[in-house]
This record gives sequence, structure tokens and C-alpha cells, in this order.
Amino acid sequence: MRTKLLVTSLLLASCAPAHAVDTSISGSVQTRCLITTDTNGVYGNPVPSKLSTASADGGVVPVIRYDVTLADAYLAKVTTPTSFSTSPALSDSVAWTGSTAVTKTTDVGMAGYEAAKVTYGSTTQFDLTVAGSTWFSSESTAVYGVNKSFVGGDYSAIVLAECIAK
Amino acid sequence: MVTTPLLYWLNVLLNNIRVLLSLIAVTLSSAVYAHEMTPTYPKFTQSYMGGVSVTTMSLFNKRKDVSYYKIGVFTDEWKPVAFVSQYAVIPMLYLDTVSFDVYVATQTLSSVEYICSISQLRAGATIESKICSRVK
Repeated sequence: MRTKLLVTSLLLASCAPAHAVDTSISGSVQTRCLITTDTNGVYGNPVPSKLSTASADGGVVPVIRYDVTLADAYLAKVTTPTSFSTSPALSDSVAWTGSTAVTKTTDVGMAGYEAAKVTYGSTTQFDLTVAGSTWFSSESTAVYGVNKSFVGGDYSAIVLAECIAK
Repeated sequence: MVTTPLLYWLNVLLNNIRVLLSLIAVTLSSAVYAHEMTPTYPKFTQSYMGGVSVTTMSLFNKRKDVSYYKIGVFTDEWKPVAFVSQYAVIPMLYLDTVSFDVYVATQTLSSVEYICSISQLRAGATIESKICSRVK
């Protein structure tokens, strides 16, 4: 019996003690705004004088996502193009129209964003009063001269997405 | 009749290829790119130089189509304010995070309202992003 106890004691003593070590994971959450380009726009050319991102015109509407981690800290401003960033030489004027709308949100509290938007010139401003993600679609149309055909070549224009701290 | 199992397996193979191609197409079309700058409300402190205040900003580039970001400092009426930083235009790789200091003369500090980063686009890119932090 004593031998058994001795052997058991020796075995227990020989076992390596388990060391508990605390491993920390650190991180910080801070107010931030992330602008994500979900979809790059593409111009469709439904008639020779018109370039449009509308899907009905064969285009692709650019979609921009804003992620904010703190409510009521940022303004989102989306400006539709008023000129081409690249294009062939054009001899006549181009008439631009554009609009930006909320297409998707992650919080029911954002339902009022669309109604509360402020538009001036080609810029549409949204007050991001709720934390979360908001998707904006920004349509634009360019019409060349008076029923003039656009010159053949590549065209691109830029949508400006701004996130301004309040 | 002998060819039926063969046709069946060919059909399965073609379907799998179709699904694979669809997945590739969706992945390509849904590529998302992002731009982020923190902190939202930076605080200026006295730098190691007399009469010069400094704050540190952090920029994150998740836009594959952008390799440079321009920094700007503005008043509340969006008039530019003179500042010094390591770079006026910061070169950034995809998924890069860069911290940079913004130095402003302490006597002009009261007019500083916004510190902004603006993506510099390559030809053909269609969405320009601009994030502005506010000095309160």
C-alpha cells in the first residue's frame, strides 16, 4: 500500500505543472468613416447623343457604400459629374444631369435619409445620423449638343464621394 | 444506351464548370474598394519645434485602383491652410496603413477646421473618395 502511494506521489510530482498564461488581444474602436466603391459605373449609349449610367439605357449605376461607426458624426456628400475626366475632343457643349439616392441601409433608423437629403448643384448631402452602412446609387446622364452624336472613343467621368466630420 | 452514363457525367461536369464560371464572374464584378482616415476628431499638440503644432493621422487604403492620396488642411470655409507633412501626396500600396504627421503654425491653428485625404485616380477610375476629419 505504501509503495502504491509512493509511486502515485512520484508520478504526480513528476507531472509538469500547467502554467496559465494570459494572452491579451487588444484593439480599439474609434469613430471612423469608410467609403467603399461597391460598383464602378459604366455609361450606356442608348442613342448617339446620350451617355447614361441608367440600367434602362444599358449603363451600370455606380454604387458607393458609407460605413460609419458613430451616429451623428459625419455628412455624406455625393457629387455627380459635370465634365468628362477623359474623352475625345468635343466641339459642342455637354448637358449634364445627375441624381443620388439611398438604395440600401443596415438600420431601420436610416429610413429617413432619402427624404432628408439636401441637393445643391450636382451635390447631394445626407446626414448620417445612425451608425451602420448606407449604399448610395449615383446616376448621371450626358447629352451632347442638340441631338449631336458623341464622337467615337472612350469616355469616363468621376463621381466624388465625400465623408465630412460634423 | 451505352452512352447515357457518359452523357450524364459530361452534363454534371459542364454544370460544375458553369457554376465555377458564374462564381468567378460574381467575384470579379463585386470587388469592393475602400478608403478610411482616422481619427475623426484629431487634437493638435505642441511639436518639438516652438510655434508649431502637430497631430498624427492614419490612412488606410483598400482601393486597388488608388496608389496615392492627397492631403489637405482647410478652414471652416474650405480655404486651404498652409501645413507641412512628410508628403503632400502619400504613396500607398493596396491594404497599406500609413500614419502621417500634420504640422501647422500654432498662430494659424485656430483657423484649422478640416484635415482631408483625397484619392488620386488613375485614368478610367470613376469614383473619387474624400474623407475629412474635423478639428474641434
